[in-house]
Amino acid sequence: MAYIEFKNVVKAYQMGEVLIQALDNTNFEIEKGELTVIVGPSGAGKTTALNILGGMDTVTRGRVIIDDKEISSLKEKELIKYRREDIGFVFQFYNLVQNLTAIENVELATQICKKPLDPKTILKKVGLEERMNNFPSQLSGGEQQRVAIARAIAKNPKLLLCDEPTGALDYKTGKQILQLLQDTCRKEGMTVIIITHNQALTPMADRVIHFKNGTAYNIQKNEHPTPIENIEW
Amino acid sequence: MKKALMKDTIKEITSTFKRFLSLLLIVLLGVGFFAGIRVASPDMRNTLDKTFDEYEAMDIQVLSTLGITTKDIEELEKIEGVESVEASYLTDVIVSSEEKEEVVKLMAITTKMNKPKVIEGRLPENNKECVVEPRFLLGTEHKIGDKIKIEAEDIQDEDGKNQPLLKEKEVTIVGTVHSPLYISSDRGTTKLGSGKINYYMYIPLENFDTDVRTVTYLTVDGAKELKSYQKKYENKIEEVKNRIEDISEARRQARYDELYQKANNKILDAQKELNKQKEKAEKEIKDAKQQIENAKTQIRTGKTELENKKVITNNQLVQAKKELDKAEAELTEKERLFEAEKQKIEATLEFLPPEQREKIEQELQQQEQLLKQARITLNEQKKQYENNQNIAEQEFAKAQKELNTAESEIQTNEAKLQTQQKNADKKIKEAQEEIEDAKIKLADIKKPDWYILDRNQNVGYVSYLQDADRIDNIASVFPVVFFVVAALISLTSMTRMVEEQRVQIGTLKALGYSKRQIASKYLIYASLATILGSILGVSIGFYLIPAIVCDMYSMMYTLSETVLEFDVGLTIAGLLAASICTVGATLYSCIRALASTPATLMRPKAPKPGKRVLLEKIPFIWKHLNFTQKVTLRNLFRYKKRFLMTIIGIAGCTSLIVAGFGLRDAVSSMIPVQYGDIFQYNVEVTLKDNLKQKEIQRAYEEIENKQEIQKAIKMNKQSIEIMKNDNNQSIQLVVPEKVEQLQDFIQLRNRRKKEENYTLDEQGVIITEKLAKLLDIKKGEQITIKNIDKVEVQTTIVGITENYLSHYIYMAPELYQKIYQEEIKSNTILAITEELTEEQEDILGKEILKNKEDISSVVFTSMTTTIFSEVMDNMALVVWVLIIAAGLLALVVLYNLSNTNISERIRELATIKVLGFYDPEVYEYVGKETLLLTLIGILGGLLGGNFLTTFIIKTCELDAFMFNPQIKLASYIYGIVITMLFAAIVSAITYFALKKIDMIESLKSVE
Repeated sequence: MAYIEFKNVVKAYQMGEVLIQALDNTNFEIEKGELTVIVGPSGAGKTTALNILGGMDTVTRGRVIIDDKEISSLKEKELIKYRREDIGFVFQFYNLVQNLTAIENVELATQICKKPLDPKTILKKVGLEERMNNFPSQLSGGEQQRVAIARAIAKNPKLLLCDEPTGALDYKTGKQILQLLQDTCRKEGMTVIIITHNQALTPMADRVIHFKNGTAYNIQKNEHPTPIENIEW
Repeated sequence: MKKALMKDTIKEITSTFKRFLSLLLIVLLGVGFFAGIRVASPDMRNTLDKTFDEYEAMDIQVLSTLGITTKDIEELEKIEGVESVEASYLTDVIVSSEEKEEVVKLMAITTKMNKPKVIEGRLPENNKECVVEPRFLLGTEHKIGDKIKIEAEDIQDEDGKNQPLLKEKEVTIVGTVHSPLYISSDRGTTKLGSGKINYYMYIPLENFDTDVRTVTYLTVDGAKELKSYQKKYENKIEEVKNRIEDISEARRQARYDELYQKANNKILDAQKELNKQKEKAEKEIKDAKQQIENAKTQIRTGKTELENKKVITNNQLVQAKKELDKAEAELTEKERLFEAEKQKIEATLEFLPPEQREKIEQELQQQEQLLKQARITLNEQKKQYENNQNIAEQEFAKAQKELNTAESEIQTNEAKLQTQQKNADKKIKEAQEEIEDAKIKLADIKKPDWYILDRNQNVGYVSYLQDADRIDNIASVFPVVFFVVAALISLTSMTRMVEEQRVQIGTLKALGYSKRQIASKYLIYASLATILGSILGVSIGFYLIPAIVCDMYSMMYTLSETVLEFDVGLTIAGLLAASICTVGATLYSCIRALASTPATLMRPKAPKPGKRVLLEKIPFIWKHLNFTQKVTLRNLFRYKKRFLMTIIGIAGCTSLIVAGFGLRDAVSSMIPVQYGDIFQYNVEVTLKDNLKQKEIQRAYEEIENKQEIQKAIKMNKQSIEIMKNDNNQSIQLVVPEKVEQLQDFIQLRNRRKKEENYTLDEQGVIITEKLAKLLDIKKGEQITIKNIDKVEVQTTIVGITENYLSHYIYMAPELYQKIYQEEIKSNTILAITEELTEEQEDILGKEILKNKEDISSVVFTSMTTTIFSEVMDNMALVVWVLIIAAGLLALVVLYNLSNTNISERIRELATIKVLGFYDPEVYEYVGKETLLLTLIGILGGLLGGNFLTTFIIKTCELDAFMFNPQIKLASYIYGIVITMLFAAIVSAITYFALKKIDMIESLKSVE
């Protein structure tokens, strides 16, 4: 059995008078330690899938199993526990707390975990040793995203979920961030899932899941992922 | 304004209804309180004016030291501006029934003005009836229909003779009335009884058996239409008063002349009469003397006459005797001659012829017959003489006796006359002395003084107006908190609203809408909330608050139903003040936003950078804080407006609650402390006036020997005045007979340091705290005391003692003797009983009152305590109003805070939710901040509450009371707990609002 299983998942919600079918019978599997890229145009349902994986949203029908745990049947409180202990989340707009310094933003996450990593070590790892005590407003976008990644990794999660992590960054910084994510996957053995609409990123992944019209229509496995520095777009 | 914008505004209100509501609520609170408290004072004044109008109360009263005459009244009526004049009679009397004696102000019922208002029953219809004030029935346990006896001092009639004042002394109570002259509980002082007037009552004017009037009431044309507290009224009254002043000189002179003339004429008449009497008496005596003299002369004449008569008669008798003797001798000679002749003849007879013999014999016989005849006659004459002699002697003796009787009669008369003369002299002397006295009195007659007084002389009227002023003071402070909070709330929520809609504002700007058009949306939004809030606020405030305030004062004053007015001026003022706060704040945030270019506006606003707080520089503290605490602290300083708003709001809330309970404490502890700790006695027995020491002792022993009485003390209580400023407090001087006993009955102690007890000594007096405050005098200073006989003495204050009700001055008997040069005479007995039920007290009271000769009244302190519970009911109402206001304030502020917090930090909150914070942790993340602010606010509120309570107490306190300014710990705890409770309510709301936050928000881009 795969590490992550998405089985016949349907997600529908009412938007005004229209019933929207965000996910329509979606199926995919991801193995442990893989770097997965979920790719597709806006509105294809990839964010919804990510939200469900991250325990931020529930399914209408179907099952989601992660590390033998059926998260689709978890109660609200169990879902929070799941997010707390098993998930690291990286947002497109970093979502750092403005009023906290870099290290404090990391601590914000580590203080609630069972076996967190040391925030300082992590920040060192993401190359922010010098800027640890700076407030987000004093950091560049890339640096802020590094803090965000550090915050996610520091929780020592089973799964690192990244929602358009480079969406707000310039090309070069974006590349550095992706490098960081790839390194994290490779070196720490972390299962990483990146959502992007940028098709060019697919070669870096172990597994690529293509989304369209609310369903994963094509799942590819890259036996030999390309290192990020070799990818151009 | 464009239609689309209008629609947008209305939609905005419906979609951000909570924000709109909180704005509206705070305006409601602010304006409601402002208008309500502000209008309370005018409402009080209007109520007073209405009350006086209803009674048709006089505007001016004229008193004269020598009474007001009919002519005076006529002259007063003629004065321009005087509407009508009515004279009346006032005096202090003692009303007694089977059990008690009360000192009562007795008044004649007036019909044109100052009309007593019937509360129950009816007005008297004849001299045998009376009406009393309702308190009289409560206090004396009389009922309508009961008979009471009025003991009034006699008055002097025209001739200076005492005569009873009243025609009917025993009168039946037929009803209860209120009087405009006594709207407060103060009835004034008197020379009678304990020096305090307890009640007032009315009887018909006809029952007063005199033509003299002690007071004249006047109403002024057109004064009724004016409000009596306004300058206009005062001016009008002043004008008429001046006119009265103008005629007063003449009237005073006239009254003087009249009285002088009357008295002088009386003296002259008396002198004339005396002279006449004197003359008459003198003449009478003279006549009597003359008569006696005449009688004496007569007797003397009589005596002489008698002597003369005696002599004459004796002479006559002697003459007669002599003649008789002579006649007898002659006759005896003749008889002898005849015998001799006869013998001769008879010897010769035989010798003579018979015829001749016969003839001679015959002749002899004839002669013998003649002689015999003469002898008989003589004998008869002799007898006649003896008879005469006897008669004469008898007559003389009788005459002599008559003379003697007359003589002794004259002697008696003479003695009588002397006594009579002495008496007459004495009477004349006395009469003369009386006239001399009258002459001296005549010289003493002074021109009468006229007192022309207005309503300001009415104690109740004046103190009520002062109370209204006090409320005015509160009104100027109280609503400020609400307005400040309203301004801050508007500032935070409108700033937030404008920030939330940056993009929209930018778009509108880009579309070419003018700044004013764009801003108008927010201004209309704020204005609408303000206008609606103000309207609701004044509607509630104008009725609720004055009603409560007036209700509170109705305990102390007897007034008509409260006048509640809708004051347009205040409405506008409140609306303006609120508008400045809300619309001003809105304008401020709009202007700031609109200054930016559309492009800037459409870009997301750079988040407010994080900042280190000062506390981080103190690692010692900072290190020991946990993570959330650090975040909380930073956030606190990040949003200063919110910080301020919350703290002020919460502080206001706690202040109001603490003030509410603090006021309750102040009032509630007053009586228990006064009658529990300070006054430890529970019965006060007033003795009758003019008792002798022996009788006082008898009454005292009788009370002390009662089984229920544990201890008793004799003391003298009298009303006095203190000469300082224009103070008009009624003060009682208390002089215990034995100083060492006093502490068992009355505690003299320092309020702040309870263990500091005072003992009376010769050094000076101890005065009560409030009195010291009112007179602004301290320990060691001198005061001048004036007693009811106007004797002024100076003494030193050696202590200021805790006291809450009325004013007292305590003095040692030794000092009293030293300064007044007389022994004190007790008129009051205080006693401590064992624990008694109400019924037992009743029985004991009646038992004590059985000693009618010595005791005039018995009062248990438990009665006061009962009356007091009513006051407490009213206090509860105040506490509730303050708590509700406080709660609303706290709710509005905290709700606004959490609302703004959530909407502004929604991404942050969604993010931490994604990070896996449990709901309570999410709440803690924001809630800690609120909690901390709430705690700071509460701390401030405890201080503020203290100040507020002190302020309210200071401004509201009546002169005769002192509230206990110590706020109980419990009240602070209530303040804390209740504020926390309100905070908890808001927290619960926040908790669920946080729970509802969608994590998807975290994925959205920054607006």
